[in-house]
Amino acid sequence: MARRAGGRSPLGSIGLYAVLTVTSAVMLFPIFWTVSTSIKDRVDTFRLPPVIVGFTPTWKNYSQLFEDPTFIRVMANTIIVTAGSTIVALLIGSLAAYALARAPRFRGRRPLEVSLILLRAMPGVVLVVPLYDVLAGVGLLGKMPMLIVLYAMVNLPFAIWIMTPYFQGIPMELEEAAVIDGASGAQVFRTVVFPLALPGVVATGLFVGLLAWNEFLLPVVLGSEATKTLPVFISGFVSARTLDWGPLAAASSLAIVPIALLTVVMQGRLVRGLSQGAVKG
Amino acid sequence: MTAEGAPASGAPSAGSVSSAGSVSSAGSVSSAGPVASNGRLAGAPPARNWIAERRARSAVLLTLPTWVFLVPMFFLPLGVGIYLSFYDKTLGFPMEPSFVGLDNYRTDVLSPVFGEALVVTLLILALGLALQFPLGMALALLLHQQMRGRGVFRTAILVPMLLTPVAVGLMWRFMYNPELGIINWWLGVLGLPGVDWLGAPWPALFAVTFVDSWQALSLVVLMLTAGLASLPTSPEEAARVDGASGWQVFRHVTLPALMPVILVTLMIRVIDGFKIFDVVFILTRGGPGTATQTVSMLDYNVAFTFLATSRASAIGVVLMLITLPIYFLWRRVSTLAERS
Repeated sequence: MARRAGGRSPLGSIGLYAVLTVTSAVMLFPIFWTVSTSIKDRVDTFRLPPVIVGFTPTWKNYSQLFEDPTFIRVMANTIIVTAGSTIVALLIGSLAAYALARAPRFRGRRPLEVSLILLRAMPGVVLVVPLYDVLAGVGLLGKMPMLIVLYAMVNLPFAIWIMTPYFQGIPMELEEAAVIDGASGAQVFRTVVFPLALPGVVATGLFVGLLAWNEFLLPVVLGSEATKTLPVFISGFVSARTLDWGPLAAASSLAIVPIALLTVVMQGRLVRGLSQGAVKG
Repeated sequence: MTAEGAPASGAPSAGSVSSAGSVSSAGSVSSAGPVASNGRLAGAPPARNWIAERRARSAVLLTLPTWVFLVPMFFLPLGVGIYLSFYDKTLGFPMEPSFVGLDNYRTDVLSPVFGEALVVTLLILALGLALQFPLGMALALLLHQQMRGRGVFRTAILVPMLLTPVAVGLMWRFMYNPELGIINWWLGVLGLPGVDWLGAPWPALFAVTFVDSWQALSLVVLMLTAGLASLPTSPEEAARVDGASGWQVFRHVTLPALMPVILVTLMIRVIDGFKIFDVVFILTRGGPGTATQTVSMLDYNVAFTFLATSRASAIGVVLMLITLPIYFLWRRVSTLAERS
């Protein structure tokens, strides 16, 4: 019963496509449903049988959101904290990743590796409960700069793990040549190493940025009305007495559609980044 | 290491050989390790040594900023958490807390509530793994086939992975709605009775598991397809030529070779599964009752609903202790993954 390489019976082919089509549909349906609900009129949202297609699209839910000054603030906060923390994580993380890539042993290497793994593995609440107390004590609760550095810190393990292999891939000879030409360590990093690792740094930035964009526990506990981010705003719909599904779906769409598009476009890089960042001890 | 492994696993009776191969390569690593490093140190010219020293010194400097972040924002809070767990601090209460010894541990950690939360967490984790891995493996194998439109399917399955859990959680909540949700409507079309998904204990547990697994499945498929793509094809072909059936090839050739990737993925899922919070918070807040109250959700509720900072800290310390061994697991799994 030897099977020819690549050979498949027509029945097998149909089965293969059927299974993959159904699975893809299940995986994508919640996204489709979010977006379609966001452009439905209130009447169509609750109609049974559910209106899958053939309703009159409306932008009402979106315009309702954007007319609200709170929501503009929320979007601005989300973008600021995402961009800010990503830049900080990349700056700090690239230095550490470079050290881990180049020096096989140095003082504090093992403690650093242990710390990053523990930070990655520890449930967020464990950190957030005492942090609330600490930050309240020093008056930094609900402050945007504080949130930015905290976001950066929780994403440092990923940032460092994903960037390390990129630095390892840069030939040592290039650095040595620069040193012979009289460049200092900092100059070598700035003018030779960092530019060469830039594609990796950018890919890491996208990944860390996505994590920051999605972050919920930190801003919901340690943030304030003034620092409210999109996930916190979206979660606020729950406590509202009547769930307003239209605007909620619109806000959710604004959160997830950019990520879905980015995942599709950046697939290759994400795959590589994730498998590198997944485990690096 | 790859060079050592490849010819060995190319041999005909793949099952026994591949396991022997990993044993022999493990042996050679541990014996060769110190010799190689000694040789490098002894045989290296002094200039190299000097460079290595300089590298080590600058590495300390380069990792300094990371420590500046970790010490006040990671280690200090953990320390404060341990400290608070022995006191009786209430959130936002300005009075000086008094020392209570192990009282918080006695009332909260030894309470049935914590045990129940632990069981709920492990239940969601186990149910999720039982759903994600067989399904993920099957999908990865299907996506590994030569076929048209493979990229489209792979992309579709990958998309949920990084979506904002809070946002998708709320949309699932909409779909789970007993009267107006599309899931019960579909069940009705199939002639099945509707389910009060988030209002009854077991359905709520499944509902939470399903949303988490929906996103996790993307990760599992991604990791396993990447793993499959990196395997050499010759061992599988050799086994086929020797007359092994599809299942035999999978069981004795593909699966053992894929094991490091599977273990890495499993570990990620165990870590993230144990941490589960966002989806629970949005879907049920731990309810109905305490049916979906995971350890993170419980800790959050004790801290920010009951405002019992110290009692929450005690729970946090126990979660911290549960997390510590993961480090050793991590090291084992990652050396295993790097070796292959």
